Amino acid sequence: MCIISFTIFFYSCKTNEVSTLNSTSTDKFSITFQPVFGAENLILNQKHPINETDSIEINVLRFYISNIEFYNHDKLIHKVLSSYHLIDLDDKKSLKIDLESIQNRPFNKIKCHLGIDSTTNVSGAFGHDLDPTKGMYWTWQSGYINFKLEGKSELCPTRNNQFKYHLGGYQSPFYALQTLEFDINDASEIIIDIDLQAILKNVDLASKHSIMSPSDRAVKLAEIVAENFEIENTN
Amino acid sequence: MKKLLFFLSILLLTAFHQSDNNPFYIPKKWKKPTYDFTKNPLSIAKIDLGKALFYDPILSRDNTVSCTTCHSQYNAFTHVDHSLSHGIDDKIGTRNSPALMNLAWQPIFMWDGSINHLDMQALAPISHPNEMGETIENVVLKLQKSSIYPTAFYTAFGDSAITGEHTLKAISQFLLTLVSANSKYDKVMRKEAKFTKQEKNGYKLFKTNCSTCHQEPLFTNHQFENNGLPIDTTLNDFGRMNITKKPKDAQKFKVPTLRNIEFSYPYMHDGRFKKIREVLNHYTKNIEHNPTLSEHLQQPIILTSNEKIDLTAFLLTLSDRAFLFNPAYSYPKSFFDTK
Repeated sequence: MCIISFTIFFYSCKTNEVSTLNSTSTDKFSITFQPVFGAENLILNQKHPINETDSIEINVLRFYISNIEFYNHDKLIHKVLSSYHLIDLDDKKSLKIDLESIQNRPFNKIKCHLGIDSTTNVSGAFGHDLDPTKGMYWTWQSGYINFKLEGKSELCPTRNNQFKYHLGGYQSPFYALQTLEFDINDASEIIIDIDLQAILKNVDLASKHSIMSPSDRAVKLAEIVAENFEIENTN
Repeated sequence: MKKLLFFLSILLLTAFHQSDNNPFYIPKKWKKPTYDFTKNPLSIAKIDLGKALFYDPILSRDNTVSCTTCHSQYNAFTHVDHSLSHGIDDKIGTRNSPALMNLAWQPIFMWDGSINHLDMQALAPISHPNEMGETIENVVLKLQKSSIYPTAFYTAFGDSAITGEHTLKAISQFLLTLVSANSKYDKVMRKEAKFTKQEKNGYKLFKTNCSTCHQEPLFTNHQFENNGLPIDTTLNDFGRMNITKKPKDAQKFKVPTLRNIEFSYPYMHDGRFKKIREVLNHYTKNIEHNPTLSEHLQQPIILTSNEKIDLTAFLLTLSDRAFLFNPAYSYPKSFFDTK
């Protein structure tokens, strides 16, 4: 056991050394996710009116961002390896992804996955943000939940007016993974808005208040979710 | 330098692995395991930790149900004498727990293939309200608070901060060591023993009638098949179709291994048959020809009563007493005594 720990220790020292030597402040890059409700910032557990009588309250908003890639005129210039980030509105720190050592700048496009790819889904247990204790892994059927949205609305004829959307699925024809693309001239920081009001406008809360397994509906809603990620501004 | 370190670490890991006196091995002429050991290299400390977790009811909500409740060693790690396995609060499940062995070669888990990797398998019974009724989050909290586990995790993984990943990987390690390849059948194949005349005839009948699905040496082809069981309308279990949502998968269930069949009764996904005799009568007399019936069962299987006796004699040669009574798999009293 000692031997293994030592090897890993040496290995990580080595990696750190390389990145410290090469990285400068201009190599850094950050993405901040900012959930909004129409024109307002989204606040957890708070009612957002949608008309004179009804409102929507969001209680859980969590999703995975993975496989971040940088492009210059459609040519891949940098890929962040093994990057899996759980974004959780209830954990402010998680909303910002800090990346180091972006190679071969400049870039004019970023792509990333909303969710977890199928290979990772069939490769057993992982730690950190992918640890099954994070509540983003189904137990009765293998697979990550890519996007989890739970809340309440008077429009839902359910117990406590709850709605729950757990979107995932890694096998065709219910592969729910989405690719997000942002056209962005080289920057050190970007903010990406996710508009929950725009997403939920596409859902009939009165009849379709729950998705909890891989299905056609899950894939369709995942596509709608992906369409509502938008760059706010750049620095 | 990086390459050299990598090479050295592989070399050391291999040396470490081979010096282990662990019960996992690849029997001669068996194919390469499906499990990727490079992502979870075996070590005695991890196997021991996994064995303790397997036997510890701490995995259940009220600390009453352990893995071994439904997977006891003397029954080839299944739940003897219960058609449907039961769990927490005496709740009864909807299926018969499968026997556990040779899992390193198994590509997909559960009767309906709902679980895609051995590491993730334990999450299902831990979380099921009728089995352990717990969550992996809470299991990790309980383990962290215990007097023995932080040290055991440190010894095994070099980290006393317990995670879901390490908990599941440790359980996998113990399960991977459950290799059954020392039955009379195996000894005959290795030319260390001889079948009786009856067993030999049974083997011939087996190869003619059963071996397409129950392929040697694992005695399963790891496929999902409809073996012509009429649907039990009190359960309405459509098996594989529940997962794939495809009508062509209706009433298909995973082909189970026949190894240690003498000890793994009752049989079928819902444990409807108690005796091997009933199973053979099903295949010869009672197959229901419904639309998704296995292509391998379209032609009738015809066996005389003497042939059934011979076939049964062969099936009993699949019992592996060295496996069923291997002390390496038994309750780890010394681990729990260190409290």
